[in-house]
Amino acid sequence: MEETRPFRCLRCGHEFTAVYKKDGALVERTCPKCRSNSIRLKKDKPAPAAGPSQPAR
Amino acid sequence: MDAGRHPKIKVLAYSEVEAVDGAVGSFRVTVRKKARFVREDLCNSCAECAKVCPIIVPDGYQMGLSSRKAIYIPFPQAVPSAYLIDASACLGNNPIACGKCYDVCEKKCIEFDMQDEILEFPVGAIIVATGMDVYDPTEIEEYGYARFSNVITSMEFERLICAGGPTEGHFVRPSDLQRPRRIGFIQCVGSRSEKYGSPYCSNICCMNTIKDTLLLADHYPDTESRVFYMDIRAFGKGFEDLFTRSKAAGVRYVRGIPGEILEDPATGNLRVRVENTLTGELEEHEFDLVVLSVGVTPRQDSAVIQRLLTLSKTGDGFFMEAHPKLKPVDAPTRGIYFAGCSESPKDIKDSVTQAGAAASHAQILLNAGQITLDAVVPRILEEACKKCGRCAQVCPFHAITWEKGQVAKVVAAACTGCGCCAAECPFDAITMTHFTDEQLKAQIDAILRDHAREKLITFACNWCSYAGGDTAGTARLQFPAHARLIRTMCSARISEELILYAFEQGAPMVLVSGCHFADCHYINANRQTVLRVERVWDKLEKLGIRPERLQLEWISAAEGQKFAEVMRALEPLRAAVTPQEIDHAMKALAEERHRKEAKERAAREKAAAPASS
Repeated sequence: MEETRPFRCLRCGHEFTAVYKKDGALVERTCPKCRSNSIRLKKDKPAPAAGPSQPAR
Repeated sequence: MDAGRHPKIKVLAYSEVEAVDGAVGSFRVTVRKKARFVREDLCNSCAECAKVCPIIVPDGYQMGLSSRKAIYIPFPQAVPSAYLIDASACLGNNPIACGKCYDVCEKKCIEFDMQDEILEFPVGAIIVATGMDVYDPTEIEEYGYARFSNVITSMEFERLICAGGPTEGHFVRPSDLQRPRRIGFIQCVGSRSEKYGSPYCSNICCMNTIKDTLLLADHYPDTESRVFYMDIRAFGKGFEDLFTRSKAAGVRYVRGIPGEILEDPATGNLRVRVENTLTGELEEHEFDLVVLSVGVTPRQDSAVIQRLLTLSKTGDGFFMEAHPKLKPVDAPTRGIYFAGCSESPKDIKDSVTQAGAAASHAQILLNAGQITLDAVVPRILEEACKKCGRCAQVCPFHAITWEKGQVAKVVAAACTGCGCCAAECPFDAITMTHFTDEQLKAQIDAILRDHAREKLITFACNWCSYAGGDTAGTARLQFPAHARLIRTMCSARISEELILYAFEQGAPMVLVSGCHFADCHYINANRQTVLRVERVWDKLEKLGIRPERLQLEWISAAEGQKFAEVMRALEPLRAAVTPQEIDHAMKALAEERHRKEAKERAAREKAAAPASS
């Protein structure tokens, strides 16, 4: 049984949907665009940012 | 048979392992010995009971091609050589009074009230030789395995041509019991396929088919055999010679996997359509019988053994060895070894070789009488332990025992030193010898002492990503020199506290790197790394720190190229971190730490107050 979720790559910013869990176990995630493994699960409500200025991307 | 007679070998047939406790050298195994309803110490296999038994069921050993009685011997060479009653099929003697076997048995072996026995054994080492299953080709509609009686599997072929089989070796086809004269073999059924079965090669099917064609050529020289294949993999000793002999015996090999099998309902003959990839032509062949050379699959119930022994599986579902080259028969859990197809598909020769190696390894362990453990083990600080059991929950080797209300205890013999427990403990109650928080923080301090803004703190696991860095270096690959590696045994050792500490000390970026999921040397400890990094990303975002400053990468020891690429890719991200961001992170994290410390202090004072008053 596969469970898919939306993700965001923390290296290139690419957003995509991929398998999150297969048979109840986490699967290795890779960004289809830049091959990074820094793939963050997208939450419905992002945490409120309390920080300083962000650098231009 | 020899094993059954050996004074030092106890064969527990018709039994199931229910629990395995303890660690290397002192496992305790609980086995359920199922009730046979026949006294195996008295039964002399006279078969009188089976003669009178009125119940007939399909014989699983003969692949359902013949039948057996409800009282039966599973297969001719079974050990012990004693009958047993299939309780699900037997009428018993109550409420319907059958009991014919009971009446006819002169030695009075039948005991209808026999119960399962629970046995316990202390053992020093365990060898997992749980075998494999074969692929069921029913799902491949095009081949009509479930529709056409003359389409059979290679396992059914074995039974049909075997002297001990349902036809006593007289080779006939199922539809009319006539001898087939044109036989087609289709290779890779359920193997090397992304669509059906498994993507891996099952290793044994090519040689099994070649053997079958030679058997047919020997027993029935007038038989015409054709083999449809992708590649013939005949890489073992003497295998190429067998292949050559098969071709010389007149067997025709057609390079192409058939797309469809059609049956002539009048004759039961089969037409096979295939594209011959050597000629590029579409061919149609007619056969009396088609044999599907089915692949090997992991045992369906392997998850039970996996759970009992704390094993890991590879992506294809077979058990994972401790190291594919250096420890091919060892499980990651100490004192457990593999033999045969439980670890991967293999032929008899390889299975025997591995079984010998596994037995030798077990013997070496048992003869030594003692084991040398790595010094990297967790130490639980009893006064700090809040008895939450989190460490026991995340330990991939079940090397920490914990009961509610009790301080957790480390079973050093079972521990392999990944450090996941120390990283997960929310109360800093576990210290990891040789990889203590103080030691790791000291390395962070040393790295960030000068030119902190230019550094990329890289936590690298001992087995894969650190070695990947070595590979990149020895291959003289070029990459920015900003990374500073801190080695830990496993990426799971990297706690939230260590990552935040690096940011608090002014690190612009932190990289946590470890083994790919399939390569984790601590079964699945690096899944905890993922969960933890996800938590830290959330926390950073909450504190106004860009989560992008914390990166996660899986780099194997062979991936020097990937290591260099990651370093090159992260350099622009590191360079983009502004001094204001670093200052903010340092301030926010220091405040957060002070808040946490104040809270802990208050909790301690509250706990101490009743005692002092």
